[in-house]
Amino acid sequence: MNALPPPRHPASAACGISAHAVVECRLSAMAALRERPAPAGAPPLPARFLRQCDEHTVVAVHAVLEAIAAAARPPCCDRHAVVAAPCQSGRITAARTLVQFSAGGGVTVSPHVVPQCSLHSAAGAVSVALGMHGPHIGVGGGPDALAEGLWTGLSLLTLEAQATGCDGAWVIFSAWDTEPVIDASGAAEGDPLCRALALLLEPDAAAPLTLTLHLPTDTGALGSASESCAGLAAFARAVGICAAGGAIASWSVPCPWGGLFRIAGRAVARRALPPAIRREAA
Amino acid sequence: MMRQQRAEREAVAITGVGAVTPLGASFETVAEALVTGRSGVREIDAGGQGRAGRQFAAPVVEIPAPPAAACRLDAADWDRLDRFEQICLSALAQALGDAGFTPGTAARVGLVLGIGAEQLKAWELDYLTGGRRVFEPRRDRTLAQRLARRLGVTGPAVTVAAACASSGYALALGRSWINAGWVDACLAGGCDILGPTALAAFYNLRALSRRSDDPARASRPFDRQRDGFVMGEGGACFLLERRAAAAARGARVRGELAGAGMSSDGSHMVIPSTDPTHAARAISAALVDAGLRPDEIDYVNAHAAGTPVGDVAEAAAIRLALGDAADAVPVSSTKSMSGHLISGAAAFEAVACLAAIERQAVPPTLNLDEPDEQCPLDHVPHVARPRTVRVTASNSFGFGGSNLCLVIRKAA
Repeated sequence: MNALPPPRHPASAACGISAHAVVECRLSAMAALRERPAPAGAPPLPARFLRQCDEHTVVAVHAVLEAIAAAARPPCCDRHAVVAAPCQSGRITAARTLVQFSAGGGVTVSPHVVPQCSLHSAAGAVSVALGMHGPHIGVGGGPDALAEGLWTGLSLLTLEAQATGCDGAWVIFSAWDTEPVIDASGAAEGDPLCRALALLLEPDAAAPLTLTLHLPTDTGALGSASESCAGLAAFARAVGICAAGGAIASWSVPCPWGGLFRIAGRAVARRALPPAIRREAA
Repeated sequence: MMRQQRAEREAVAITGVGAVTPLGASFETVAEALVTGRSGVREIDAGGQGRAGRQFAAPVVEIPAPPAAACRLDAADWDRLDRFEQICLSALAQALGDAGFTPGTAARVGLVLGIGAEQLKAWELDYLTGGRRVFEPRRDRTLAQRLARRLGVTGPAVTVAAACASSGYALALGRSWINAGWVDACLAGGCDILGPTALAAFYNLRALSRRSDDPARASRPFDRQRDGFVMGEGGACFLLERRAAAAARGARVRGELAGAGMSSDGSHMVIPSTDPTHAARAISAALVDAGLRPDEIDYVNAHAAGTPVGDVAEAAAIRLALGDAADAVPVSSTKSMSGHLISGAAAFEAVACLAAIERQAVPPTLNLDEPDEQCPLDHVPHVARPRTVRVTASNSFGFGGSNLCLVIRKAA
């Protein structure tokens, strides 16, 4: 029953990355970041917009604002899509909610828990904050968030333009640098760092960076599982160095299901180097 | 000619359906319940929810265990899965069985699940049974990845979330991966489960109906007396394939996923926009994607959950997108029977569209005693309407202003 016709797998798909930024914030500084206005060159945030948001959402929104402010050509966001791939978002709020619920019942549960602490929340907040009318999607949630986010962002931009009308897709990753331990009262121990990386994918041949998905040419390939969520710091650093034409010319993110994504500076992409596994240093 | 060429290129065959829902746990039982107008809403034991009055919802009452060989687990393994894993795995395995398809190395098969709050639900299930996972710094693989391994799926396994439109986005993305050749076939859908903190959160948000004196009449989309939605659980999963691939292996095609449209309001994290422009754009984009005109739609399965604001906003969007054709297109909300399956709603409502095509009848909106004049549509109150149904459109909207429309049509 499974005799399928020969598959017709493309070798690759690609787009440009025309803006990017990283924002890092310790838990102790999160309250101040919630109130911080948008940087010069970025659209203003609605008043008190981030007050109820999860920590991942706060850094994600600011990463997009910083990317817009830093872009060589400020993007028009109206027709942009958003893909946010947070790793374990909402856990601190979930722990506090469950502790309070077990003690005090349903009346203790905040109505903000579902809209602000779910997988879609960061993407929704970026879409609302910046008035973006392309689709917005949360992706992943687990340790393979990098690959899942890039895969979905490239899908929306390159495959669904007809269905979405979007001309750009923000892909935003966020993770705690070290996943925090939460105590019995529902409070995080220590002062963990939350980091977000925002990338603007556009079908732009002149973008300073390119993103290429190299699909495996054999069928059924299943790569070894990666811990790409833990690699967000290194990935974010590499994106910055690639864009600046520094010592790292390209960086690869393997897909757990085979194939890989490769981000490269414009000059390297033109040379069409063969894809390598994991990372490449110039 | 261009329209036909586009539709030919984009349509993807739905060859397998799996459903675990408040209305039954197979395509046939759900289809029968929908056309006979049976409600799955009932009183429930909400445990320590801690609020006064009777609690009600639309729970799943049967989760069929899949054949052991289909997913590498025996009865003991099945019992060790949590309720969420059981519902998803049951629906996925049903879809594969319905399609007569076994993932293997001969084809690249993907899996995309639309689940909005997988981790919140997993932490809650664990915590309420004495676990400590929510406090621990562990990073577990997603349900999609774990289930892909159980089912022998070796292609991309991705979780997507767009609130109450999540499982519809899963279907749209699975279709696009097939069209691009990124995968040969794709399992796609989504599920959700009832949980006490989500019930409390939606109640405190004043989104739920408070009509506890008569649960089966509480879900009343488009009715003047509606006062919120009724939560449900469960969902559906589908096997999507290229038409040619389905034909080559002699598969039965239950319908075709012919188009998708997606947009965002970009206006509020919870409240739907009163401006129908962007929701209407999703509907129009789905029709363009499918190569169809508004007057070619035979049935619209509305998102309509029964909230005062949401139903009016959707009616305006339907009228804006379909224009004069809206006068002659029957519209119903099957949430009047199933409750609102949240992440699983869009996938469940895709089943309702397939049921309408198979039974050649439009499922009704139960409890629609007095249609709201602010929702001027061709409603189908109380009982199913016999009709030739070839092309259906299904709307889904979610928190954050997510808009999605899927076009599902009879197989060519």
